[in-house]
Parts: sequence; C-alpha cells; structure tokens
Amino acid sequence: MRFVALALIALALGGCKSQPIYKPIYYNWGGYESMLYAGYKDPTKMEKMKLGLESHIAAMDKSNQKIAPGLLAELGTLYLQSGSSDKAISMYTRERDTWPESKGLMDTMIKNLERRKQAHPEVVQ
Amino acid sequence: MKNTIMALAVMLLAGCAAQSVKQDMSAFQAAAPRSILVVPAVNKSLDVDAPNYVLSTLPVPLAEKGYYVFPVNTTKYVLEQEGMYEADRIHNQPTESLAKLFGADAVLYVTINRWDAQYSFIATTVTVDFDYRMVSKDGTEIWKEHKVMHYSPGNNNSGLIGAIVSAAITRAAPNYIHLTQQANKQVFVLGQNALPDGPYKLKKSP
Repeated sequence: MRFVALALIALALGGCKSQPIYKPIYYNWGGYESMLYAGYKDPTKMEKMKLGLESHIAAMDKSNQKIAPGLLAELGTLYLQSGSSDKAISMYTRERDTWPESKGLMDTMIKNLERRKQAHPEVVQ
Repeated sequence: MKNTIMALAVMLLAGCAAQSVKQDMSAFQAAAPRSILVVPAVNKSLDVDAPNYVLSTLPVPLAEKGYYVFPVNTTKYVLEQEGMYEADRIHNQPTESLAKLFGADAVLYVTINRWDAQYSFIATTVTVDFDYRMVSKDGTEIWKEHKVMHYSPGNNNSGLIGAIVSAAITRAAPNYIHLTQQANKQVFVLGQNALPDGPYKLKKSP
C-alpha cells in the first residue's frame, strides 16, 4: 500500500516535466525556429538568420531534399529588407514552385517587386 | 492511507493542466484547410516581447502536422506594409479579407493571456496562458483551444538549498519558450482536440 502511494507521488510530481519538446519529423528545419526567436530577441541576429537559411537551403539543394514550408519565402523577405529585390524575387519564385498553397501571396509579392523595380531601378554596385 | 492514494490518483489524472472539453470537429473537417495563416498574437500580458516569441514557436508544429503554414515573419512584414502593425487591429479584421489577401484557407489567431513569473524565496512559478482560435476563409470558426502551462522547479528532492538555487535560476531566466512549445504541442498534437492531420502528412503516411 505504501509502495503504491510512493509510486503515485513520484508520478504526480513528475507530471508534465517529463514531456519532451516537440521533435520535428517530417521536415528538416535547419534551426529556423531558434534563429527566428534569436532574431526577434535581438534584431541584429536577423543577419545571422539570413546566412543560416542560405546555408541550410544550399545543403538541402545539394542532397535534393524538399525545403520546409515558408523557409524560402522567409529568406526572400530578409533579402528584400536588406535591399536585394532580385534575390527576393528568386526566393519567392522558388517558394511558389515548391508549395502551391503559397501561389497567391508569392505572385502578388513578385508582381509588386517587379513593378517597383521598373519605377526605381536598383543601383548596380 | 486509502484517501491519500485516491487524492494522488485524482492529482495524477488531472495532470498539470485542466482537461478541456471534447469539441465537435465537423466544421474543421468540412473546411479541410490545406494552408494556415498565422497572424501576430494579441498580447494581454505585460511582456512586450511575448508576441514575437510566441510567433516563432507556431510554424514548426503546424507544418509538422501536415499543413502549409505561411511564413510568419513574411506575413508580419506584409501586414506592416498594409499598415497593420497592431495585432488587436489584425484580429479585428474580417477573416475573409485577411484570408483573401494571402490566399489562405484558414487563419490562426493566438491571444496571450498570461506570460509571467511569480517569485517567492524558495519557489518560482512561470505561467503561460494562451487562447487559440482557427477561422476558415469563409469566416466560420472551425477550432478553438485554451491552454495554461505552469512550471515550477524544485520538485526534485534537492532539498531546501537546491530549491532556493533553482528558484533563483528560474527567476533569472524564466524559460517561457519551452512552456510555450509544450502548450502548442498539447493543443495541436496531443490534446483531445488536437488538429486532424493535414494534407501533407496524410500523403506521406496513408
């Protein structure tokens, strides 16, 4: 009887502490979640996220694996925010071609960027 | 003794969070969304950083559940370009127009009710409390959940000194993200109102 009580105490105290964090199974995220968290915590880390996504995507391409939903577009937006519209367009195009659900948004963003480019051509450095 | 065992058994069954009521999933199944737009979270806590941190934890578990999740940082950027900086304002927009702007099948709204740590000398309790609500592109609410998670170190037989030390550590750096990830996992994956598998998961494991 005492033993049962002890076992129950141990279980009750263990509670939700023993649960592991969600482990991704279907996609390789290349550290996306923690890079995004770090970037929100300290905006200067967004540059690190850009480099991290670049190398993750290059590695996935090399091993011919599908890129997880959203990563190509997130890199595109980081390019856009640092002033590289052409690179942004190429990432948005890849997101659209990889994930058909993104087509509406990606087409709009690509169209807007191309329109903006015609109005104000990028200065080639 | 018997009473003690009963009490413990009840505690055990109650677990660390109140059980929620089983929901009718027919609206979700009828809408059968393929894609989910996660918009910035409304913040009712006092921590101004909480909404961005919460946002960073949402795409991975939803995508792993088999849905296309719109890139959250790009979504935030697009909304800002449209002049929508305030999450409260975004949540008050008609879902139909948000869904149309992005071409999304459903929109996930998260509200942060609590994100805080309560301190005492020998125990620190960290709490997160979220409301989740999913609305289909035609404006029908198709799923909702509420989750409260607490974390309090010092259950680990380390004695009073150990408890004081771990309370101090938790006080210095409350691990909200871990609790948030657990809350997300509970509502999306493990709970009795977990989301049905999305199209990409169904395809991979028929």
